[in-house]
Amino acid sequence: MPALPLDEAGKYVAGAYLVFLALVLAYVAIMAAKLERIERELSDLAEREPHPDADPPGADAGADQDARGGAEGKLFERERSSREELV
Amino acid sequence: MRIPSLRAQAAITVAVLAAGFALVFFYAPNDADQGFIQKIFYLHVPLATCALAGFIVAAIHAIRHLRTGDAVHDARSYVSIHISVIFGVAVLLTGSIWARASWGKWWVWDEPTLVSFLIVFLLYATYYPLRYAIEDRDRQARYASVFAITAGAFVPLNFIAVRAAQSLVHPRVFATAEGGMPPRMWIAFTVCLAGMALLWTCLVRFELAAKSASAKLSRLRRALEGETYVASGSRIAPGIPSRAPSPS
Repeated sequence: MPALPLDEAGKYVAGAYLVFLALVLAYVAIMAAKLERIERELSDLAEREPHPDADPPGADAGADQDARGGAEGKLFERERSSREELV
Repeated sequence: MRIPSLRAQAAITVAVLAAGFALVFFYAPNDADQGFIQKIFYLHVPLATCALAGFIVAAIHAIRHLRTGDAVHDARSYVSIHISVIFGVAVLLTGSIWARASWGKWWVWDEPTLVSFLIVFLLYATYYPLRYAIEDRDRQARYASVFAITAGAFVPLNFIAVRAAQSLVHPRVFATAEGGMPPRMWIAFTVCLAGMALLWTCLVRFELAAKSASAKLSRLRRALEGETYVASGSRIAPGIPSRAPSPS
């Protein structure tokens, strides 16, 4: 088959590159929506977390983990260590 | 070797891809046979290469998952397949456009390259229903790993099928009797391939980070709601909780 003239071939080439761009953009948009939901849920959780002012009098910064409760403190520890492992 | 941050890698990816596409249109010469339409090659072939390589990477992670039982490898295997399937969609679409322009048809069934890639793609498309048909997370991860390894074996077959095929309908641009691509085309192709590989790894890291954040969020929510800690997370990234100590 002879080569297509530039004006006709250009449409196909532009189409192929635009399809690629559209796919990447669609993926990024879906991931952005997901991250937005995560961010919204995080701020929702942050609102529920006890405010630092609500700590019992005399509690210092080092007692923060105890104030949250043992299980939760361990959870935050795990979060920190696992972040380095997965990503 | 130090791995760049995701943001730095994203910036590098955009720069390399932009440079590659600039080389394609302003540096690489038009193909003597196909003319301007051959520019699709610089997009289509790197996408296909990365998609097929991604399936092999997924199989390697699946092997590591079965050997170690570490669910992080399962998450990596899943995400590798996911991104490669997306790349596969792009390969099929750009290939169809190229076929239409070159051969006058959107699809040719007697061309082994196309059909073998379609078989591999459809095979991996069944990964999702297989995975989500299983409720138990450990079994789900194990079966998905076995699938990833088995399906990974088809990828070299795809390559061999193309080479072994007698038909010369599909253009052979790397090594032909006339000598293959000129150096300018090779340079443009290599940069495009590097950019596409960077894009693949960037998207994999991006999705792993999102899954990790989602899993952590679920566990934090449960902890704050005072529920008993149960090993779980996002549907796909249960890797971190599986390592966590049992509830005290």
